[in-house]
Amino acid sequence: MGRYITRRLIQAIPVLLGATLLIYAVVFALPGDPIEALAGDKRIDPHIVDVLRERYHLNDPFLVQYWHYLTGLFRGDFGVTFAGVPVGEVMAGKFQVTVNLAMTALVIEAVIGIGLGLYAALRHGRAQDTLILASTLVLISIPTLVTGFVLQLLLGVRLKQAGLDLFPVAGVTGDLRGYLLPGFVLAGTSIAYLARLTRASLAETLRADYVRTAIAKGLPRRRVVGRHALRNALIPLVTYLGADLGTLMGGAVITETIFNLPGMGQQLFTSVYLREQPVVVGTVTFLVLVYILANLVVDLLYAVLDPRIRYG
Amino acid sequence: MRVTRSARIIAGIALLALGAAACGGQAATGGGADGDQPVRMELAEPQKLFYPGDTIETEGAEVLGALFAPLVSYNDDKQVVDNVAESIKSPDSTVWTIKLKPDYTWHNGEPLIAENYVDAWNFAANRDNAQGANSFFSRIEGWADLNPSDKKQPVLAEKMKGLKVVDERTFQVTLSKPFSQFKTMLGYVAFYPLPKAAFGEDGKVTEAYAKQPIGQGYFKMDKPYNKGTDRTIDLTRYDQFPGAKPKFDKLQFKIYSDSETAFNDLRAGALDIHDSLPPAAIASAKAELGERYIDQADAGVGYIGFPLQYNDTYSNVKIREAISMAIDRKTITETVFAGTRAPADDFINPLLDGYRPNICTVCTYDPARAKTQYVENNGPGSLELGYNTDGAHKEWIEAVANNLRANLGVEVKVKPFEKFAVVLDNLVKKDYGGMFRMGWFIDYPSVENYLTPVFSTVAITTGSNYAGWSNKEFDDLLAEGDAAGTLKEGLKYYQQADDVLIKELPYIPVFYYRTNAAYSQRIRGLKINLINLVEWNKIEKIG
Repeated sequence: MGRYITRRLIQAIPVLLGATLLIYAVVFALPGDPIEALAGDKRIDPHIVDVLRERYHLNDPFLVQYWHYLTGLFRGDFGVTFAGVPVGEVMAGKFQVTVNLAMTALVIEAVIGIGLGLYAALRHGRAQDTLILASTLVLISIPTLVTGFVLQLLLGVRLKQAGLDLFPVAGVTGDLRGYLLPGFVLAGTSIAYLARLTRASLAETLRADYVRTAIAKGLPRRRVVGRHALRNALIPLVTYLGADLGTLMGGAVITETIFNLPGMGQQLFTSVYLREQPVVVGTVTFLVLVYILANLVVDLLYAVLDPRIRYG
Repeated sequence: MRVTRSARIIAGIALLALGAAACGGQAATGGGADGDQPVRMELAEPQKLFYPGDTIETEGAEVLGALFAPLVSYNDDKQVVDNVAESIKSPDSTVWTIKLKPDYTWHNGEPLIAENYVDAWNFAANRDNAQGANSFFSRIEGWADLNPSDKKQPVLAEKMKGLKVVDERTFQVTLSKPFSQFKTMLGYVAFYPLPKAAFGEDGKVTEAYAKQPIGQGYFKMDKPYNKGTDRTIDLTRYDQFPGAKPKFDKLQFKIYSDSETAFNDLRAGALDIHDSLPPAAIASAKAELGERYIDQADAGVGYIGFPLQYNDTYSNVKIREAISMAIDRKTITETVFAGTRAPADDFINPLLDGYRPNICTVCTYDPARAKTQYVENNGPGSLELGYNTDGAHKEWIEAVANNLRANLGVEVKVKPFEKFAVVLDNLVKKDYGGMFRMGWFIDYPSVENYLTPVFSTVAITTGSNYAGWSNKEFDDLLAEGDAAGTLKEGLKYYQQADDVLIKELPYIPVFYYRTNAAYSQRIRGLKINLINLVEWNKIEKIG
């Protein structure tokens, strides 16, 4: 068990190194000059640009620049942004917001998605089942951009104008309340997928021989479904949730922008735009790490759900 | 030990850790009665830390504008007036003597002295400090010593010859050439002073200072700004400020990544001032806010430019005029921009004293004359129009292209570039031969700033003259305006230079930018000045 985890973590090292090199190269290959991008519509004097290029090692060849970055990384130094702020500091600030948002979304999609799927599977082929199938289809079809703005206007602005202060329109508030609306928007599509996945997986398991045996033994229905069927049916769902965690952490640019949450998705977007290699590479590498860890946790969870699976 | 159990424990711990991370770091900041809420203003993330000499963008300038008091300000008649300065005098437009009013103090209690200005300007003008506003000081004698033309060469001096402290409250600025408009420059962020406390042992402005600048203005900053992490910047009124103080004691800048979101926050009562409404919000702002919606001139001009320096296709001015007359500016500003722009009829923006309405007659939409003139002068059968996709330009460029297609009967190829920097790069390297989108925002409110940096011959190498247009008469008129004895007298020559531009049309002015702002019911008296800063002492809090 311990050895298994160690092995998996060691395997992650070349993956992470490869990721930094790849991302660094990709950002390097982007067109335009980062210093001029920084200036926006105004041109900075050429002689000032020279000083800045020198300061950020932009005149060095690619491999030399990468080497600077990598050696810094081993000293625990993630580099600095063009504004002179340490990248580690920037990332730490964004990380908190992203984790809050991703976890809120994950909880929302797990509870609602699995709940709906469970209900549909137990009412298989009946009106409620069809209704859930149809409504999830609608949910999948609406882009996040639309749900985001509509919910913000209806539940944020209009409710507040009507005197009901339930959801803040935007921004991080003191409590987790500010994450509810964006969390729901972010979870939207996944809720639908998860409901459909649960429904299919559970409906299939309910037809399995061992479930019939359990029913024949005279076990109460609650125990048959909850203990025997659902546990097995959960395996594909856990895989989905694990992979989704990675997506939620990195892919929330639109939601974060609409609700003004300063998370990693937004940071990544602006940094790619400004060609801030240290920030892009740092953030992406971190996301790769999250993916690797999420996958590891998923694999360990398999063993919990299915006693036949063992790691040694 | 059974594997499944330890797996269960580890998975459990992992989940707990994630949960703990999700709940951690929540500072309790909400709540409080509405009455002690600060006045809250929308801000996009400042690009840099707050070095006055390195702040060449609007967001950082907004914050610094609340922390610092400028030497001069601008009154309702668009005239420059003394503010921190008691007097600014020059007998010859070359040597300027600036005397400060007494009683101004820094937020740390030290008195404001003339040396603070000299220190700040010397720091900003030094090449090695790589400050974005470096070139603002290039008119001061001795600037070249701090900025050698060869980049390998070390700087020759730490201080500009042209700056001299006369006494505690007086200093003298000597320019390398006369410049009648010098006084208008002094209200800009780059010309703010710096206290002794700003400089470290190495004589450089410290990062600690740039995170929490000590100013001499209306407000002081509550705590250092962590760029990239903080979503608000909180300020408190500085009660020792000698002039007219703001009538409220707390000001908060809220950082938004999307201006539409900020507008929604304003509608819901979570924001008080929004000075950059997006076009999508204009209709609802007008309908819902009434008087609380502000629409006023802003300093920018949008152009269509020609690469005159290396492409002869457009060398005939009659063809340029025809293209200009074929553009329906009114419809474009009203529909594409929802009124957030106004049709241009001069190279000078209506924001400034010196603007003359309808002076550019070929800027009036006249499709019939455009077509005749275009055909008579054998205009090219196909045109190319380039723009950058990193700003909201696609729609209006497409609209212009459609105008040209319909009114001139030509092929128009619209060419997107991914970034503005790429367009500039192509123009500088002479790789792109088509027409291009261009824009200009003034740095200081003088008519001269619409002319010299964009159209003068020197600006081909050192400024933003991307057309590469060069005209002796124009350059001479600028020189005469610079050498004039007073602001007013200078204006006369600049307007003549403007006439040359209109006759020669190196760029086609298409629209003027507008400032579209809105404010909440909690305040009244919002005024935004010539250089886009809120006049904080005019605002009253009513909620």
